[in-house]
Amino acid sequence: MSRAAAALSVVALISLAPLLYMARVSLGVGNALPVAPADWWSGGFTLEHYRALGTSGGMGRFALNSLLVTGIAVPIQILLSAAAGHALARGRFAAKGVYLALATAFLILPRQVTLVPLYLLFSRLGLLDTYAGLILPHLADPFGVLFMAHYYQTLSPELEEAARTDGWSPAAIFWRIVLPLSGPGLAVVGVNGFLITWNAFLHPLVLTTSESMRTLPVGLALFAQSEHSVDWGALLAGSTIATAPVLIAFALFQRQIVEGLLQGSGR
Amino acid sequence: MRGRFAGLLPWSLFFAVFGLVPLLAALILSFYSMNPLRPDLTHWVGGANYARALGSPAFWHALRTTAIFVVGTLPVTLVLAYVVAALLSRLRRGEAFFRAAIFFPATLSMVVISLVFKSLYAEQGLLNGWLKGLGFPAVHWLQDPRLALPSIMAMDVWASVGYYAILILAGRKTLPVEQLEAARLEGMRALAIERRIILPHVKPVILFVVLLNTVRSFQIFIEVFVLTRGGPLESTLTLVYHLYERAFYHFEMGYACALAYLLLLLVGVILLLQRRLIARAPVEVPAEMPLAPAVPRGTGRGAA
Repeated sequence: MSRAAAALSVVALISLAPLLYMARVSLGVGNALPVAPADWWSGGFTLEHYRALGTSGGMGRFALNSLLVTGIAVPIQILLSAAAGHALARGRFAAKGVYLALATAFLILPRQVTLVPLYLLFSRLGLLDTYAGLILPHLADPFGVLFMAHYYQTLSPELEEAARTDGWSPAAIFWRIVLPLSGPGLAVVGVNGFLITWNAFLHPLVLTTSESMRTLPVGLALFAQSEHSVDWGALLAGSTIATAPVLIAFALFQRQIVEGLLQGSGR
Repeated sequence: MRGRFAGLLPWSLFFAVFGLVPLLAALILSFYSMNPLRPDLTHWVGGANYARALGSPAFWHALRTTAIFVVGTLPVTLVLAYVVAALLSRLRRGEAFFRAAIFFPATLSMVVISLVFKSLYAEQGLLNGWLKGLGFPAVHWLQDPRLALPSIMAMDVWASVGYYAILILAGRKTLPVEQLEAARLEGMRALAIERRIILPHVKPVILFVVLLNTVRSFQIFIEVFVLTRGGPLESTLTLVYHLYERAFYHFEMGYACALAYLLLLLVGVILLLQRRLIARAPVEVPAEMPLAPAVPRGTGRGAA
């Protein structure tokens, strides 16, 4: 093994060990935190914390909420990004520069700025504590649109132009030619949208008031501040549940995640 | 032709209603005194909210906390990320595995990261267990006002090194192989190649990382919410946590919006600074990163 590989093994261990620790505690008996290496193997393994979370603590509900919000928001995000990105890439109109500038500016600015107005708007509209309230802010995200606009600029318009001269409608061209060619770009938008939506915290924290509407990160963070604050087995079992879908997405789409990151999706 | 713009409409609608309108509304609100529990008392106060923020010890304290955070984490994170990227680029085999292992933490929820570190920092946790094994007394990592912020900073370094290492690695990979080969043929040593060819080449990426890290540091919230709630003795009070408390514990919506716009202003100044720095950098921004250097979106890992 080269020296670089040896050094990187240490780095990789440091970056993964806390997560292995999380999984180990979540499978442990009781709430003791293993300290000595020997505690890792002894001490027994059990699913009691996962079972307890399923019956009490509301973690099942939080996970369901997160799944619903992500499952609805991300496909819509993908479609909105494809449609708007395509229009921006192909269109020649005066406001295009303004559009791109606004979207880029929004990508940069601290999102916390919209927090209070969104809270007031949603309380006025009766959207606090609803799934719509949890989903809608994610649909304004400009990353997907900018990314897809860039993607379509690298895609030759010849096929679309041929279809247009054949008399296809813009909608037919979009659904039957553009969208089928958009897979690689939309995978980047989708997986990054998934990570951002799944991990979102501040807006879901503020836009929900009842326990039953909390998403997984919000539910977990508030669970940790309840009487369960040193209930390590339960806390880290909940953390493991929140991590599992991210791990799966990472295993399947690592390349796309990195690409999104390089293009400024930034989480 | 009109049909081609139809695709822009649905997203524009969402962007306007849930993006631009709240952005402008926050600016307008920042000139009002507003409590959602007593909407009848809402009134115009002019610049009073801004004056109050600039005269408030909590605001300056939060800025100071942020400054300490940046000064303490940035050099460490940057050096570690640079070294990790350099090591990754030297690998002949297994790069994909190591890259994945080191990058994975960057995709995690900050809530999860914070809870894991909360358990590591706990009274009976791993770190104190090790200290005890070495014969030292237990340390109150998160309860000691002198240690709470550094403890969060250490966690932040752990959580972001992989992310920045991947960015720097991508910058390295845009360097033409021929250029490196030529340098090697001329008999340049590895360290000289690193310093005289690679470092100048990745300088724009490094500047990007510097600014991204700074902008993200201004938005730290989840770590503080989960680990310390701004304490002990406000030693970990950050700007966004302060804003959150003002808005949702004290219902000072107008004041919170003024704080938000001050945050926006600060981030804007930093980005302008970045532009000037990048303009002065001797090399072009790598072609692989068309959006990134212009677009550091510091959401602090899912803060939005």
